[in-house]
Amino acid sequence: MSSAVTAFDIKSASLDLLALILRTDNPEELTTALEARFGPAGDAPAEAFLLDVEALAAAADADYGRLLPMLSRHGIRAVALRHPDSSMAEVASRYGLAYVRSSTPPRQNLSEAVSKPVEVAPAPAPVAAMIIDRPVRAGQQIYARGGDLIVLAMVSAGAEVIADGNIHIYAPLRGRALAGARGNTAARIFVRSMEAELVSIAGVYRTIEQALPESIKGKPTQIYLENERLVMTALGE
Amino acid sequence: MAKIIVVTSGKGGVGKTTTSASFASGLALRGHKTVVIDFDVGLRNLDLIMGCERRVVYDLINVVNGEASLNQALIKDKNCDNLYIIPASQTRDKDALSQEGVEKVLKELADSGFEFIVCDSPAGIEKGALLALYFADEALIVTNPEVSSVRDSDRILGILASKSRRAELGGDPVKEHLLITRYSPARVDKGEMLSVDDVKEILRVPLIGVIPESQTVLQASNSGTPAIHLKGSDVAEAYSDVISRFLGEDRPMRFLDAPKVGLLKRLFGG
Repeated sequence: MSSAVTAFDIKSASLDLLALILRTDNPEELTTALEARFGPAGDAPAEAFLLDVEALAAAADADYGRLLPMLSRHGIRAVALRHPDSSMAEVASRYGLAYVRSSTPPRQNLSEAVSKPVEVAPAPAPVAAMIIDRPVRAGQQIYARGGDLIVLAMVSAGAEVIADGNIHIYAPLRGRALAGARGNTAARIFVRSMEAELVSIAGVYRTIEQALPESIKGKPTQIYLENERLVMTALGE
Repeated sequence: MAKIIVVTSGKGGVGKTTTSASFASGLALRGHKTVVIDFDVGLRNLDLIMGCERRVVYDLINVVNGEASLNQALIKDKNCDNLYIIPASQTRDKDALSQEGVEKVLKELADSGFEFIVCDSPAGIEKGALLALYFADEALIVTNPEVSSVRDSDRILGILASKSRRAELGGDPVKEHLLITRYSPARVDKGEMLSVDDVKEILRVPLIGVIPESQTVLQASNSGTPAIHLKGSDVAEAYSDVISRFLGEDRPMRFLDAPKVGLLKRLFGG
């Protein structure tokens, strides 16, 4: 093997970032706002941020050479620049930033200073599903980070199974199942026998205190989100 | 090769010590050299149930700490030739146990020719219980037919599958046996108690036996005689069946149905 092959590896990684959406590139105004929010500039530990300049009138002409050090004194270490116009890629590379093209339509809610975490890395390769073939007993917790969870044995009352993706349980679910744990509203839960204590998708949860309807109680069931409401329906109907 | 069996449940008062005493005695009665160890440091009971409390000089902690030799702590049972008891300490607490210390004692017992080492676990999921099950090859999960006991047994099964030495080494898992104790068929019929099938369905562990609820157990405990010695009683028969099944014999389950009550008894009470 040549050394070129072993000198490095490229592996998929994903990073949750906060975005800083600039409404102005006026240095004085920005300094005042930053100090009001974060206190006086200092050697705050740097955190990676995505710099969104879509709202600036003349994003290409902003003085990034001055802006970036100013932000970084407040602990905001810009690693990428986001703008819908791809000609901004050149500006970004001039300041050593990665360029991200914003694919979302212009935001309506401009008063929101910090948007939800977004991923800047190219879509990571799909994470292999985690497969559990032993019972998940009371007090145990299984978390499939970044992907689906497949459980081949029962999930007891008092046990908890969590996945960032979908959850499949080919046995009775008597404990709790939480799919889409990091906000994936398209995640679903599929169970062979529905006897759960609690189900949740993307943070929308439901405790099951009353008896379930006969159509799904102890039967194959899927659970998904529809208009922010949890829907539980019989499978294979 | 000695086989280490833990008798555990999570919940207290379900019959772990009663079961440990009868199970160890039953193995010894079949000719197997057996030792039963009380892990309930600070709340020792096994010596009372075995009727040897007045012969306790040294205990498990003394051996772990090197203050006594194993032979000094081993108490020979009064009923069976092949059975020995290691009592727990009454004056110490569970922090006095260490994994290395327990391992040393178990290894020494195995080296001195014991075939079965029965570990009577304390209730709970704290250090004493974790150490009692850590080295186990097989486990008797003692469960009463009611929901909180079943839930705690489920918890202990989870710990066996994740925190035992076998789980950590990643080899064969600890072999699990479900033992239902204090079973009252009459109360099951009235819907006051979970049935054997309910418990099996919740825990999904092979059933090794069902011990009926009986006054005999209380009498046995008070007299310091393990229940298995009370010939002719339901409890002794049921424990004897458990031993047979544990040793690989096929025995049908008994004592699952309520005895038929005659007309006169129903009219005049009994």
